[in-house]
Amino acid sequence: MSKELAELWRFRGLLWQLVRRDLKVRYKNSRLGFLWSIAPPLMQVAVITFAFRHATNFAAKFPSYSAFVLVAMIPWTYFQTAVQDSCQSILMMYTVIKKVYLPREIIPLSSTISNFIHFLLSWLVFVLYWYVFRRGPILWTVLWFPYLVIVQFMLVTGVGLFVACLNVFYEDIKYIVTIVMSLLLFVLPIMYVPEQVVYTSHIGGRYHPIFIWFYMNNPITALITGFRKTLLQPPSPAAVGGPSLPLNVGSLLFAGLISFGILIASYAYFNKRKWEFIERP
Amino acid sequence: MGIYRKTVAPDSETASHAILVENLHKTFRLQHRKSASIKYAILNFYRKNPVEKREALKGVSFRVEHGETVALVGKNGSGKSTLLSLMAHVYKPTSGIIQLNGKIATLLELGAGFHPDLTGVENVELYGAILGLTIKEIHQKFDSIVKFAFDTPDLAEKIDTPLRNYSEGMKMRLGFSLAVHTDPDILLIDEVLAVGDEAFQQKCYRKIEEFQNEGKTIVFVAHYAHIIRQVASRVIWMHNGLIRMDGPLEPTLEAYLKASDDPNYHSKNS
Repeated sequence: MSKELAELWRFRGLLWQLVRRDLKVRYKNSRLGFLWSIAPPLMQVAVITFAFRHATNFAAKFPSYSAFVLVAMIPWTYFQTAVQDSCQSILMMYTVIKKVYLPREIIPLSSTISNFIHFLLSWLVFVLYWYVFRRGPILWTVLWFPYLVIVQFMLVTGVGLFVACLNVFYEDIKYIVTIVMSLLLFVLPIMYVPEQVVYTSHIGGRYHPIFIWFYMNNPITALITGFRKTLLQPPSPAAVGGPSLPLNVGSLLFAGLISFGILIASYAYFNKRKWEFIERP
Repeated sequence: MGIYRKTVAPDSETASHAILVENLHKTFRLQHRKSASIKYAILNFYRKNPVEKREALKGVSFRVEHGETVALVGKNGSGKSTLLSLMAHVYKPTSGIIQLNGKIATLLELGAGFHPDLTGVENVELYGAILGLTIKEIHQKFDSIVKFAFDTPDLAEKIDTPLRNYSEGMKMRLGFSLAVHTDPDILLIDEVLAVGDEAFQQKCYRKIEEFQNEGKTIVFVAHYAHIIRQVASRVIWMHNGLIRMDGPLEPTLEAYLKASDDPNYHSKNS
């Protein structure tokens, strides 16, 4: 793998050019440019807040419900768009890699990196939101922020490399990814908080504790919960049906370990198959 | 277009050659799909489509010295483009040795990395990076690249407009100009020497002559005898994945042209 990394470093100029191209091309012909990447999550937050405030009674008891949705929606949007973009990326550059030598991992990497830049900029929206609505003091746990951002980058890049590679051989993957993403939006605690699942669900019967462990400690839930608990005041027990769970440091460290593992394993798999890309039967 | 360096220790026996190819094999897998219908796909979900192995190269060996200009000839499907792609490091060989000593630039298809929504300037930066230039080198050579591609100022003026406004000819000229500005030691060219109008072609030939005078190595695939006669010093004739003849320009080209005039040549599998 060190040989591959050295090769990647040698092509860093090209990687940067591809990231620049992604950033430029996306809104090339639009007037509002970057606003188009923050408008959809903002509108989603507004609509979800409206619907949940009126349809459920927990959101009504939740004074800063929209902040909780926004803080989950920003990392979720990054995960979703970056994985979907890198899934398609290699087939979009197919004519180029058929003619020219370049380390193939550069292509999905440029997708996850350009989306990462959008992800970082999206946090400015949260800062603005914070400033306008004054949702309490800034917590010292904000120091976790860089760690969480890096862990998420590793997770997204790992998953992105894997689906990008697989999609070259089985184009069903892009449909599967789209479906899974639309389901995860509801399964994961994005529109609600995980305490509600912990306190009220009985899924799995006897195996309920195991289910809850996986639900809480999978890297995406861990990251979303991590962002919420480090940036926002805990919700009131009345809103979530029990005492708010404390920030779980073990779960965050575990998410870091798992994400790193996924990245290494996907990169190894990608390297094993990258020479078959243009020779697929 | 892609550039990579293979360095061989100077004391090694192979370093004296620009290109060393030994007993090179390349096998592709081809899949036959009987029907594309949904019904067929569902009924045969578990059944794998038959995969046929096709040997594109069946053991090719040759050496190219520094400064030589070699033309690869042969009918369609004889393996010359596969051979060139292997030299460009786009494929990995199935077996055998392939070594290139020096910086490589390949002109396999011009403009493969161009993006229609970016301007000419932005495309030069992107395509230059795909060709292995740093952003600094691109900016240094920028004027020269544009000047080589477009000789009249009204064409050069378009460089900051989106590429979709360019004609096919202009895109190709820009691609060719970029590739020759990468300053390679070994230039690989695939059937693209017939780019642009008469004046631009003359310019390309002059550039190739310049490369030859500088002692650079050129390997190219061509179908037209007049192009081969103008540029090459040696001809390698490929036939069914093997070298049929390898020698100096005139006798080898003559033999190939004579054979391809024979109507049996194109059907016979010998």
